Amino acid sequence: MNETSTSVLPRRTVLATGAAGTALSVLPAGAADARRGKQKGRGKGGAKKGPGAKHPVFQHGVASGDPLPHAVVLWTRVTPTPAATPGSGKGGKVTVRWEVATDKRFRRVVSRGRFVTSKGRDHTVKLDAKGLKPERWYYYRFHALGQTSRVGRTRTAPAEDATPEHLRIGFTSCSNWPAGLFAAYRGLAQRDDLHAVVHLGDYLYESGSSNVRAHEPDHEIVSLADYRTRHGQYKTDPDLQAAHANAPWIVTWDDHEVTNDSYATGAENHQPGPVDEGGEGDYAKRRARAHRAYDEWMPARMDGTARLGDGTRLYRRLRFGTLAELSMLDLRTYRDQQVADPGYDTGVDDPERTITGEPQMEWLLDGLAQERAQWKVVGTSVMFSPLKVAALPRDVAGAINTLAPLIPQDGVYANPDQWDGYTADRRTVVDHLAANDVRDTVFLTGDIHSAWAIDVPTDVGSYPLSPTAGVEFVCTSVTSNNLKDALGTPSRSPVNLAAERAILAANPHIKYLNFDDHGFCVLDLDARRAQCDWFVIGSRTDPDTPITWTRSFATDSGASSVREVDAPVG
Amino acid sequence: MCQDAPLTGSPERAARRLEEIRASRRTVLTAAASGLAFSSALGAAAPADAASPRTRKRCYVLVTDGCRPDEIEPTLTPNLHALREGGMWWPRATSMPVMETIPNHVMMMTGVRPDRSGVPANSFYDRELGEIRDMDQPSDIRVKTIIERLNKRGFTTGTVLSKEYLVGVFGERATHRWEPELYIPVSGHAPDLLTYNALTSMVDEFDPHLVFVNLGDIDRVGHTDFTGTNLRLLRQAALLDTDLLVGRFIDGLKSSGAWEHSMVIVLADHSMDWSIPTNVITLQGAMDEDPLLAGNVVIADNGGADLVYWTGPKGKLDKAVKRIQQIAEATPGVLKAWDRRTPWLRLGPESGDVVVFCQAGWRFSDPNPITNNPIPGNHGHPATRSIPFFIGGGHPAVKAGKVFSAHARTVDVAPTVAKFFGMRTPKKRYDGKPRI
Repeated sequence: MNETSTSVLPRRTVLATGAAGTALSVLPAGAADARRGKQKGRGKGGAKKGPGAKHPVFQHGVASGDPLPHAVVLWTRVTPTPAATPGSGKGGKVTVRWEVATDKRFRRVVSRGRFVTSKGRDHTVKLDAKGLKPERWYYYRFHALGQTSRVGRTRTAPAEDATPEHLRIGFTSCSNWPAGLFAAYRGLAQRDDLHAVVHLGDYLYESGSSNVRAHEPDHEIVSLADYRTRHGQYKTDPDLQAAHANAPWIVTWDDHEVTNDSYATGAENHQPGPVDEGGEGDYAKRRARAHRAYDEWMPARMDGTARLGDGTRLYRRLRFGTLAELSMLDLRTYRDQQVADPGYDTGVDDPERTITGEPQMEWLLDGLAQERAQWKVVGTSVMFSPLKVAALPRDVAGAINTLAPLIPQDGVYANPDQWDGYTADRRTVVDHLAANDVRDTVFLTGDIHSAWAIDVPTDVGSYPLSPTAGVEFVCTSVTSNNLKDALGTPSRSPVNLAAERAILAANPHIKYLNFDDHGFCVLDLDARRAQCDWFVIGSRTDPDTPITWTRSFATDSGASSVREVDAPVG
Repeated sequence: MCQDAPLTGSPERAARRLEEIRASRRTVLTAAASGLAFSSALGAAAPADAASPRTRKRCYVLVTDGCRPDEIEPTLTPNLHALREGGMWWPRATSMPVMETIPNHVMMMTGVRPDRSGVPANSFYDRELGEIRDMDQPSDIRVKTIIERLNKRGFTTGTVLSKEYLVGVFGERATHRWEPELYIPVSGHAPDLLTYNALTSMVDEFDPHLVFVNLGDIDRVGHTDFTGTNLRLLRQAALLDTDLLVGRFIDGLKSSGAWEHSMVIVLADHSMDWSIPTNVITLQGAMDEDPLLAGNVVIADNGGADLVYWTGPKGKLDKAVKRIQQIAEATPGVLKAWDRRTPWLRLGPESGDVVVFCQAGWRFSDPNPITNNPIPGNHGHPATRSIPFFIGGGHPAVKAGKVFSAHARTVDVAPTVAKFFGMRTPKKRYDGKPRI
């Protein structure tokens, strides 16, 4: 059984007890050293060893997530014995103490409690720290078995009726461990101005492949132990740990958290059937195991709580005063199977087919209202906007299709795995926005390993004469293959640029496309405009690769269209 | 919808109204130097004087009727844009249901929603008279307006309203009033150039503390702009002209020195949506074919909203409401049919029993699908909610270059004006919030 208790301490109490823990320096500056294993006096995960266990107890870092005005989810994992590795099912119960302070030296502790974890939950710790004040930075850490975790920094959301000057969030997607090093996460960790980080899915991948790095386990993950092991491996990455420790994360999953091109009842990369006959068993059970591991290992509230086992509803809303509301979608759990032949199959337009499922669609539409907040930000794991694709050379089309099945070889239509494959649902959203005069809607998207800035048309056939419904900013991948990786060409080579130009020409509502780079985005919102900055890394194999700004686009309040900006924020 | 005004905007009716005004024992008529005539409350036909509160504060509420927020931009409306950028701006501002001219002007001046003001739409079914009429009678407003509250405290007020039904509903409330003697046939409003002349003339002649102005050109041209769906050519010409007049008015305030003491609230009462000829909804026929509803339903057409009234036995009201909702929501182009008692709507019984909104790009024409609403430009439905809402001026209460994420609404005008003039306001008096 997992138990947690919380106490919100008056300041006087804090001053008497707050110095008990050893303060650790915070975050970004140490991230590069940590990646090379140079932090002194600490084990894996930035934890400090104490007189208790001889091995590092906090090997997987710390994290926070889903900030509310008065609460935030805190997360860590303890390793009670060297053998109690993720997915091992080994190790006894451990009582973990946690504390939240307003200062990084923990002299002003405002909330603390205990949490009992066990092998039943893979020794993860996940709790809702409550009683906090809105729009504040906090520091948190954990103690167990005589050791103290690294210090994490988090931030609560503004009060619902607050009018924050601005909101700045990083967003990212598609971090495939074997494809490279997570330098993009280093970029997020090195910023001290992000109120939150949004991860739009494909946080981990299911394959057993080995390239720049090797996946653990070395086979496709199917069992609960497999998924736990994989989550555990990702959370040993020092750049990922630093990014988690730097700001609260708001996550959703895409397909690879279970397996490729998943839908409600199956997946492209799932072979039903008995294991002893070469199958991978029942898909529903496999997904339940993946979701269980996700719930254990990610700092997200599922079904509205930090508790395990009480539901796996991941779509949820987070409010940031009157300025913004973020609706995070789950576009994998309730969707119908993708059509097989997008160029010809009119099933993409079938109103009976859905990408959201009916309850989630109703919930989404409820949230897209002028009364709730100025900026209606929608976290969608796959691209929302229509994408018509011009005919491209067959090898280029083939290479692009390795990122996602964007282009049928006849160059007619687009990716049935994104909203293009479920046009009735997209029409429902766009009609709702138009019918209710909902302005300032921004879709944040991942999935396709490339960077895009888009005017979302209400009628793509008559764009730009017809109105727009919002804008869409698509971040590129942390490491997952982009076009240059797939083609083996240098970045910005003529063939890649030609592919971009062809797509831009066929889609006048798409204003920016970069097929070549890895990186992350920063979205800054204020009452006047929303700006998205794209940052890219140099090489995904170089641990010290530089991180540079490339392009920025903004949408002015009420405009529902993007314009280029000549400098990033901050 | 505003298109029933042409039927009432005849020269004969204007002359009759002028005669009524002249005959009123409470009104005196003043011919200003501009040649325009103003009606004033008895004993008030003079500039703000020693009897008025000793303040140089002036507030001008300029309603750019039917203007969409995205139409305020540097090229098309440079003066409005400059005013917005130099003052306080609420990009999330909206009109309130029903997104029509009369109710939103009434909300501006009363600060309360229609369930309190008694004015939910332009056109409604007057159960007492047994007919559909405009809400253009002074007695239609059931609560005190900010105009009357200011008057009571010794401030002077003015109304310069370009539309006949606005002149009607605000009646003799303001200290000084411009009542256009003639309205343009078909559009039923006074052109902005005339309205602008009346405004400047009233300011020169009487200098009221508060002037409430409706500029009707943008809306009226929008209604009849058959290039509207995408091109909006005529509409853009109207925007350019109106913007020029607003710019001239602001320049006048600045050159006279009044700017330093002034707050200028610019907003619209609703925005505008355009439909193609085939996107017309008529509910009357379907209602008449239903055994329960036949002969027991009256519809007041408000362009983007139909107000449906049950006139049958009271005991069957709930059943009838459900049936009306079912029929309406099964009709192509209908967005939603609301039970009028739905709390968030805050529409009183004057708005009937079911309020039906259309989708963007559609319009109602009830009861006759051809004659009742032939014009492409419409409002009243949620697609026409967003409005420009900004406050300029040189008074220190106006903060320069500030943008706010809060949800400003038409109903916020009265409490904002009240706060500007330092009036103490009981907590629950207004449904709106002061924005300064």
